[in-house]
Parts: sequence; structure tokens; C-alpha cells
Amino acid sequence: MEVFLQLLINGIMLGSMYAIISVGLTLIFGVVRVVNFAHGELLMVGMYAVYLLFLKFGIHPYIAALPVVVLLFLIGVLIQRFIIQPLLNADEHIQIFATVGLSTALVNLALMVFGADLYSVNAPDVRRSLEFGSFRVLIGQIVMLGSAIALVIGLHAFMQKTTLGRAIRATAQNRNAALLMGVKVDRIYVISFGLGAACVGLASALISPLFPATPTVGTYFVLTAFVVVVLGGMRSMYGAFFGAMIIGLVDSLSAYYIAPDLKEVVYFAIFILILIFKPTGLFGLGRGTE
Amino acid sequence: MKLLMKAALAAGLAMSATSAIAQVKIGALYPFSGGLALLGDESFRGLELATEERNAAGGLNGKKLEIVKGDAVDPNQAVGEARRLTSVDKVAVVFGTYSSSLSLAATQVTELAGIPYFELGAISDPITERGFKNLFRSNPTAKDFAASMVDGIAEAIAPALGVDAKSLKVAIIHEDSLYGQTVAGYQSARAKEKGVNVVETLPYSAKTVDLTPVILRLKSAGVDVVLQTAYQNDAVLFFRQAKEQGFKPKAVMGAGGGYSLRETAQAVGYENIEGALDVDFTQYKTNPAAAPGIGDFVTKYKAKYGMEPRSGHSLANYVGAKVFFDAMASAKDLSAPAIRESVLKIDMPIGSTASGWGMKFNDAGQNTRVKPFLMQWQGGELVTVFPANAAVAKMKTGLGQN
Repeated sequence: MEVFLQLLINGIMLGSMYAIISVGLTLIFGVVRVVNFAHGELLMVGMYAVYLLFLKFGIHPYIAALPVVVLLFLIGVLIQRFIIQPLLNADEHIQIFATVGLSTALVNLALMVFGADLYSVNAPDVRRSLEFGSFRVLIGQIVMLGSAIALVIGLHAFMQKTTLGRAIRATAQNRNAALLMGVKVDRIYVISFGLGAACVGLASALISPLFPATPTVGTYFVLTAFVVVVLGGMRSMYGAFFGAMIIGLVDSLSAYYIAPDLKEVVYFAIFILILIFKPTGLFGLGRGTE
Repeated sequence: MKLLMKAALAAGLAMSATSAIAQVKIGALYPFSGGLALLGDESFRGLELATEERNAAGGLNGKKLEIVKGDAVDPNQAVGEARRLTSVDKVAVVFGTYSSSLSLAATQVTELAGIPYFELGAISDPITERGFKNLFRSNPTAKDFAASMVDGIAEAIAPALGVDAKSLKVAIIHEDSLYGQTVAGYQSARAKEKGVNVVETLPYSAKTVDLTPVILRLKSAGVDVVLQTAYQNDAVLFFRQAKEQGFKPKAVMGAGGGYSLRETAQAVGYENIEGALDVDFTQYKTNPAAAPGIGDFVTKYKAKYGMEPRSGHSLANYVGAKVFFDAMASAKDLSAPAIRESVLKIDMPIGSTASGWGMKFNDAGQNTRVKPFLMQWQGGELVTVFPANAAVAKMKTGLGQN
């Protein structure tokens, strides 16, 4: 029983890590309608940025979050403006190839600059474990959970309450109608991609103390992030959050009770079942909206 | 007088012509570019140093050795470069290769061409299990690593703890690609043979972002000794999360890979990796009594490259190359059968080379006199702790600084 509860705690913490990575992907996919295969590499860029700020200036990763979020926003804006925008009316396959190409280019750039070794931010305060009775949880994990919840609620409020948020939702629902209503669709796309990338910036600052940076670190997370996004119904922030929690829990429990090397099999099996019985995802809005 | 001068000139020309011919071309097939380049180059430096040393001492029976490099980035290119070396450059023998997949590919070419291939660093067992006649390997294989690890439990860990080896609960955990599968497979077989009490065998993906379920399983099973075969990322995760989950095994032992790299230790923190055991090629903090010439090698290396050796690969290649040069020198000619005959005659006891290995080749061309040393992270250095004659420090038990 004790182990089971510890596994539940770990699963929720793992889920919050997946959630915070998936939120940005959901935003980009939901609004710009681009499957961003370079998402994991944006995370990698963010983690190296956090590492460099730590190494050169001794900045704590949580403080580094601010400049890194801004940096990633700008990178997102540039990617949308100069890579995706020119291809907006092209076939979706072309857009996918563009993001895959970007992903490969970024991985190799990191290999050239940093080499294949891993680098780690040293933040012992974040890695301290708090003990509640016989249960343990890291301070960094609690911060991650809190940030994931705040980010999802904050983004949701932003989408519902602000003019920009409404314009983004309008663009997501119907690009042409939004255009006719006077929404500057191109600019909305640029901002949305920037916001999605900025979310990854936040994720990289929170993950850096817990996980070392390598050129391929993005690939460790991104497949799971795609599963989470589809499971959550493609465009729903809350859907992504709960999808991530489900994957986190399944990951943690199946690795213990079944086998660590079979956990992917288990959650992909669940994923396939959900797609068969509820093709729009758990929180999807129904056919035709995705 | 004029005639005499002409004759002398002619003789001189003839002599310089013969001295130009009096060279033995040897192929050096390593990954010099691409992702494996760093340790490929480190391996090559061992061969380069051995060659220079040999040439300075008069070469091969008076003939100078000349290295012809082949860049094997991937198995395809390894095949292409092996063909070039054997047919265009007409090398007498080929040395290589650092990476097992490159070796497996390149040796097929040399075997067909009837050119001897000296493997100095690739560890995959099947390389010398294919019945090749002109392939010889001086370094230990994955099976040797696994045997050293499993035997280390009874020979080193149990005595250090002062307990009976049979009472120790052992777990084998490994990443599930070819590397981890291979080593763990040999470990399981050896453990069965030696009656080691293995309570858990857990494979996991090297790309995992969470090893806590694995650690909780080890913790629930009350595991004393963990044998892990890991790359960097998973080694870092294991040490960090074991600490966070309060899992305190009596010993943790790795099979090279992530365990031997300084960056892993730095990411984990020296105070946390303190006490982790590791089996790998001989590293430099080893007692010269068991590895005569190891200090000399480091001095020569530093003089030539202006830095400390980056890993044990250069030493392993240096040791193997020296032994094979001797065999080539004592062969009656440089034909493949003569070299084979000469290599099979080598008989050097354990502790007679700079890496501490002995040399005795079986029919398959594999060196059978290698038992890798046990090393341990102590104070941020990887030091040899077992066997006693090779040790430079006393073995510690437990993990992390208390």
C-alpha cells in the first residue's frame, strides 16, 4: 500500500512534467494547426539556455525562467514568421517536413556546440526531497505541479477574457471567418507560436534542475507530449493537463507492477483504445472540431 | 674517379630506393569523424604512440611502419575504407576499430582479402565467434566484463562487507538496447553458474525520464548489490533518484558506459557517486606493479598530445598494438598464415603489459588472458580497487558520502 501511494505521488509529479511540456504543443497545434516536430528541440534549446545562464552567471534556474521564456518566445516568433508562414498554404506534409528538418538541424547544432555529453544544472535546494511520513517528494516536483496548474488556468483565462485571447480562439475555430472579421490572422499565428514556445521555455527552466541536458533530450519527452495532446483532445488546455496526469500515472504504475521496459506498451495500448472508442480524445469537442 | 662517383651516386640512389621500399604499411581503421570520433581518435592515439615507439626503436626488423588512416564513420563506410586499405593502399595488416558494429563490418572485407585484422578495442563477443582465420583481438569482451562484475560480488564486495556472498541479494538492471541486453545476458548466465542470488532483473529504456519505479522495486526487494549497464542519462537518473527515494544499496556496479565518464559523475555530484564501482578498460589510477609501463605511457601521451589521456581506450590500443607488432616482427614473413602462426605463439602472463592484461590467443583469435579490473569512484576520481595488486586505494562499501 505504501509503495502504491508513493507510485501515485510519483505518477502525478511525472504527469505535471508532461503537462507543462504539452501545453505549448497543444497551443501551437490548436491554433496554427501545425504539428510541430521540433517541439522537443525547443525544450532542449531552453535547457541549454538555462544551463548557460547558470554556468556563466550563477543564475538559479527558477530565476532564469524569465529570460528563457522571453528567448523562447522570440525563437517561436522567428520560426513561425520565417519557416511556417511561407508554407502556410502548402500541403501539411511540407509543413511537417519543415519542422522535422528544423528538429534535426537543432539537434546537430547542439552536438556541434556542446558535444554529446550531458550537462546538469546544480540546484541542490530544488532536488531536496521532502518527507511526509514514509513518502517522499522533491521540492522541484511540487513547484512543477503548482506551475503546471497555474499555467493551464492562466492560459485558459487569457483565452477567455482578453481580446487577444478571443482573436486567437476565433482564428483557431475558423481562419477565414476570423480574417473577414478583421483579425490579423498572420499576426495571431506568430503570437500563438511564440506563446507555445514560451510555455516550453518555462518547462525547460523547471525541468533543468531535475534532468540533465543533452542534444537529444527533446526526443525523450516529445513522443509522450504528442500522446498527451491527442489524448487531451488536441486543443483543450485542461484536456492536455488531465491527459498528462493519466500518462504519468500509467507510466509510474505499470513500470512498477508490470515491467519498466513495458510501460510504453501499456500507455500506447491505452492510447489506442481511447482513439478507437473516443477518436476525438478524452476532452475533444467532437468530430470536425479538431 | 668520375666513374667511381657515378657508381657511388647510383649506389646511393639504389639505397634510398630500397629504404623507400623498406616500409610496412599498416591500416588504421577508426571513426575519425562523426558521432564516434572522440573515442575513435582516442583509440587511434594508442596505435600512433605504439607505432612511433616501434619506429624509434628500429621499426619492424629494420623496416619503418607507416600508418595509412581509414575513416570508418558507419558500417558502410567501414567496408568501403577496408576495401581501399587492402586493395588500393595494399597495407600488410589493419588495426582498428573502437566500435563493434564497425569492426563486424570491416573484418569481413579483410578476411576475404586474406589480410590480418588486429582488433584493439571493440568488445562485442560475436566479432571473434565467426570462425575467421585472420582476425585477432587483444581486448576483453562483453562477456569478460560481465564475468568480472559477477565475480566481483564474491571476490571483492562480500569480503569488504564481511558477509557470505550467498546472503547478498543482487539485482541486474540494464538499458534495453543491444549494449545493455548483451552485458546483462552474460551477467545472468555467469550469476547462475556461480550461484549468485539474483532477485530482480529489470530492463528499461535508456530514454526513460523516470527510474523511480525501478528503484522502488529494488527497495521493496531489499536488494544489496545492484549491477547496472547504463549510458549516461540513465546512470545519472539512477544515482539521483536512488538518493531521493532513500534507496541505500551496499554496492552499485556499472559496466563501463555511463559509469566511466567524468560528465556523469559531475552531473550526479562527486559526493553522490562516491563508492560506485565500475568495470571497464584499465584506467590510469592503477598500481604500476600490476600494469608495468602504465606510467610511461601516460608520460609519452602527455608529451605528444599535451593533455591527459581522455579515456582508457588509448592505453588498450597501445598495449594491443605493441604485442601485435612483436608478433609481426617474429613472423617469418608478413603473409597471413605466418602472422597467424606467430600470434598464436604469443604467451604473456597476466600483469605483463601496461594495461595489466596477459596475452594468449585461442583458435578464434580472441585473447583469453584478460580480466578487467574493478574500479571505484573515490573523491571524484575513478581508481582501481580490485584485485589487490592492481589497487591504488582500499575499496569502500555503500554509496554516497555519509
